[in-house]
Amino acid sequence: MATASALELKNIYAAYDSADVLEDVSLSVPAGKITCLLGSNGAGKSTIIRSILGLTPPRSGDILVDGESLIGLPTHKVISAGIACIPEGRKVFPKMTVVENLRLGAFQESSESVIRDRIDQVFEIFPRLKERKGQLAGTMSGGEQAMVSIGRGLMAAPKVLLIDEPSLGLSPLFVKENFNIIRRINEQGITVFLVEQNVHQTLAIAHYGYVLSQGHVVAQGTAKELSENAEVHEAYFG
Amino acid sequence: MDMGLLGQFIVNGMMLGMMYALVAVGFTLFFGVLDVIKFSHGDVLMVGTFAGFSTYLGLGAIGIDNAFVQLIGVLVVAIGSMAILGAIIARYLVLPLKSAPPLNTLLVTLMLGTVLREAIRLFYPDGSNPKRFPSLLPTDSWTIGSFNLRADSVILLVGGLLVIVGVHVLINRTRLGMAIRAVAQDEETAKCMGINFKMIVLLTFGLGSAVAAFAGVMNGLYYNEINFGMGLLLGVIGFSAAIIGGLGNIYGAILGGFIFAALQTLGAVALPFASAYKDVFAFAVVIALIAWRPTGLIAEKTSERV
Repeated sequence: MATASALELKNIYAAYDSADVLEDVSLSVPAGKITCLLGSNGAGKSTIIRSILGLTPPRSGDILVDGESLIGLPTHKVISAGIACIPEGRKVFPKMTVVENLRLGAFQESSESVIRDRIDQVFEIFPRLKERKGQLAGTMSGGEQAMVSIGRGLMAAPKVLLIDEPSLGLSPLFVKENFNIIRRINEQGITVFLVEQNVHQTLAIAHYGYVLSQGHVVAQGTAKELSENAEVHEAYFG
Repeated sequence: MDMGLLGQFIVNGMMLGMMYALVAVGFTLFFGVLDVIKFSHGDVLMVGTFAGFSTYLGLGAIGIDNAFVQLIGVLVVAIGSMAILGAIIARYLVLPLKSAPPLNTLLVTLMLGTVLREAIRLFYPDGSNPKRFPSLLPTDSWTIGSFNLRADSVILLVGGLLVIVGVHVLINRTRLGMAIRAVAQDEETAKCMGINFKMIVLLTFGLGSAVAAFAGVMNGLYYNEINFGMGLLLGVIGFSAAIIGGLGNIYGAILGGFIFAALQTLGAVALPFASAYKDVFAFAVVIALIAWRPTGLIAEKTSERV
């Protein structure tokens, strides 16, 4: 690959919930691009995200951000290294307001003016959040919570943004909008690592992709190559 | 009833309510961040009070007999040392048991409470006998009709109120408070926001224990007597108050504390037999309250929607 890797996984072995197991997974997320990871339920996608975040430390292998290893770091240090996450199922803090949720996204940022600027930027992307900034996130609709979760991920101004199943549980209209927003986020220069089951829409915005099956990387290539790969097609595209 | 006596009961009830609320806040904070019951909480309060009492004796021994300086010294040492003890308990006893069933934490801290209690009884000089806690507050009083309002009571109530307001501001208006709430609502997502989870747990246990130490000193100043067993009943009452209010909810805990004190006072005033039954009455009502509202009086305000 021509561009440098912002995030790199080398020979990762890990296990979570005993069913979701990774065996010798290596992948590279080039800087400034959208890289996707496709795979069905139980393929090991969540374990990869958990390994990167330090929530489920891998048994062996190395994870690098800009060449620095994350192995052994507690989660908050992984975040300091420039990772942010939009978690599966949105995971907004239900008993906090929209603004508090956003502020938590920038928890490690100490400058109040920087935090305010970023909140304004998020409100520009999601005007609806501005209208509802004082509302408790737990009382919002699923689509609105997705906005809060995405906005919160942006608040950290990360080097690499992990996005875990953004389409899960959302109506098709919202899914489409979300994918557009992910593309816009990437166009602002943020490296995106997108984990999804929704193959067609994901490959439409991704530059590069990996396919995970039963804990192994079974295919990789540019989005175009993957969508033309007969084997992948048969197994995952239906 | 005589107005003076009624006033006395009200002031006394508010004082008790304030102390119970302060203890209950600790239980609810600990449960919030870690979903555990720390049963040594009342005994930490007692140790804090003894630390404050020792400070008073120490200051007296080196010739400092200004009551105000002594009071500040007592408060600083009691609160500061219990903040540290609370964090140590969290670090070495509670966090290591994080992946164990919560009952184990309850049992271990129950035993720690006994260790603390017995340690004071056995190793504190003449620890098995009650100690006379000094009156460090002004002893002026105002007489309104037949009601005698003492300045020290007013100061204690205002002090307790300030601590409660302080905790409220800390939890709702500061970055630390936001982190504590985030950890309480969703530990893993809080970590993913870059919050140092262990540090927040230690600070929360330090905070809760410091507030308990304040309640202990308040108790000593009000009754002018402390003993090694004083934390036991206060701990059980504080725990009950936190449960009545809805464990994990700070305002519920405060409400619960005042409800319990109101019940005790009512039991002492209104029951036809001796006031010795006031605890029996209060706990019986608590049992009824819990049967009526198993998850506490203050219901969750938000529901999760898809």
